[in-house]
Amino acid sequence: MKDKQTKPLQAVLHGMDGRTYKTMVMYFQGPCKGEAVVVEEVDGEVDIVDLDFPSGKSALDKIRSQKMRRPVIVLSREEVSFKDVLYVEKPIHLATILSVLAQARTLIQQQGWSKSFDILPVKTTENPVSVAEKKALGDGVEIKKTAKHKTAMQMDEGSFSAFIGMITEIDFNDKDQLDKAFYSPKNYFQGYVTAAVKVSKEKNRMLQLNSNWKPLLIFPHSHEVWLDADDKQLRAFASLEMNKATGAKLTITAIDPATSAVREKMDKFYDIDAFVWKLAIWTSKGRYPQALDIHRPVFIKHWPNFTRSLITPHALQITALLMRGPRSMLNIVETLNIKPQYVFVFISAAYALGLVGQAERKSDELFEPPPIKTIAKKESKGLLSRILGKLRSSK
Amino acid sequence: MSQYKIIFTGPVGAGKTTAIESISDIPPIKTDAVATDMTKARKAATTVAMDYGIMNLAGGEKIHLYGTPGQERFDFMWDILTIGGIGLILLLDNNRADPFQDMKFFLESFSKFIADTSVAIGVTQMDLSNKPTIADYHSQLQGLGFKPAVFAVDARVKNDVSLLVQALLYSLDPGLKDHE
Repeated sequence: MKDKQTKPLQAVLHGMDGRTYKTMVMYFQGPCKGEAVVVEEVDGEVDIVDLDFPSGKSALDKIRSQKMRRPVIVLSREEVSFKDVLYVEKPIHLATILSVLAQARTLIQQQGWSKSFDILPVKTTENPVSVAEKKALGDGVEIKKTAKHKTAMQMDEGSFSAFIGMITEIDFNDKDQLDKAFYSPKNYFQGYVTAAVKVSKEKNRMLQLNSNWKPLLIFPHSHEVWLDADDKQLRAFASLEMNKATGAKLTITAIDPATSAVREKMDKFYDIDAFVWKLAIWTSKGRYPQALDIHRPVFIKHWPNFTRSLITPHALQITALLMRGPRSMLNIVETLNIKPQYVFVFISAAYALGLVGQAERKSDELFEPPPIKTIAKKESKGLLSRILGKLRSSK
Repeated sequence: MSQYKIIFTGPVGAGKTTAIESISDIPPIKTDAVATDMTKARKAATTVAMDYGIMNLAGGEKIHLYGTPGQERFDFMWDILTIGGIGLILLLDNNRADPFQDMKFFLESFSKFIADTSVAIGVTQMDLSNKPTIADYHSQLQGLGFKPAVFAVDARVKNDVSLLVQALLYSLDPGLKDHE
């Protein structure tokens, strides 16, 4: 049992894939009761290398080549012969890892970081991690994230307005008002989230975005966020404009494992892209991002992952059209004969993920975009529509 | 009367049979057999000829759903199967050793059919293995000169398979309306 006065051992993980990395984070928080915590390279006190991954050996070689170094724990199915590392045989037993962590802690206290020390095999079968527990913490972790793996909700025009909530101040039927139907993402929670995600990815660090609402945890390695809020709460917060006073309360800090309820609420994990996409939709409410000009062509890089996203009306159609080449938002409205707010909300979500941008090539603005050219055979156009109707009606 | 069909392809275990089952209006006709070769390591039974399902449309029309056998030794059947096809659904198993190699192989094998029609890619087993990511697939596809829809797909979930087929149809014609 961890002494409440003892700080968790700051562990840096090497050579693992995203899933194993995440499993270790959970394992330290759960069964190890916070005895260790996963941190970034610069904050580490101990290095943990999984030698059973292809990149594990090179990571270990690199660490061992350093003159001044921290204690190293090696995880492997096969016994290792290095004399200067602590070895934990896989599958990992709880008592073994706790014992090795304690040894690492002792070494740190003795300031023996750069010294060689003999391999210290720890063999015990006490409190083994059972197969079932391993499954729950290991292979099953990804599957438990129900929110993340939920299939997409495809909205039609009827359900869209009720679900999203439209901006009532703008009359989207009035062409003159469309020029002003924009919003600035940075004035909303969306802007802070995308900025925090950017920092987290650039620094490759797990971060926590704190506001006067609920903390948002960002896990760049597994490309996930964690937020203890339901859609209704998020939708309400997303639409609030952050004034300067509220904005000042938003901070980015390291994740505090002691206060984190992550392991108890596995259904609160979201893929970062799906989360930002949804947040942008609820912030936009049918408006377009201020940084884009509705009269100039926009491009799309590739199809969004629609099966894990909230699908706004005509989103697939707009994507397919833009995949043929850049068009202005107003041209899309005209070409597909759909309401502007459906184009704007889709563009907002795709822009939030960096999938959409303003076409900079002069040639894109030189000519009117061509009319839609179908690849399908003439006689089958009606048939394709009927297949589409069938698929849409039998959800 | 024309035979309209959508082709499902991909490596062994990618979920072709299951995907067809998800959207077919009839219990699909499967031609699974006990695997006796290297396939055995991945699944106990595998498709040795083809899978077949039907989507019944209003007005009595039928869309035939064909799943190709995953094993490469049956690739002689692929050209025959694609004749008259509307488009291609390529399913890839993210848990296989080299899904990019699989993708390249199938895109090359069906290149002529894809050039005449279109393709949409579904990546299965992403709940078991989340790497490579969908973004990684797009990067690879860019190098191959393709820009198809790529979605994470659970072949058992009708909505996932439905969205993939919808993306294929819109790729063929973005002007489609679902009420014509």
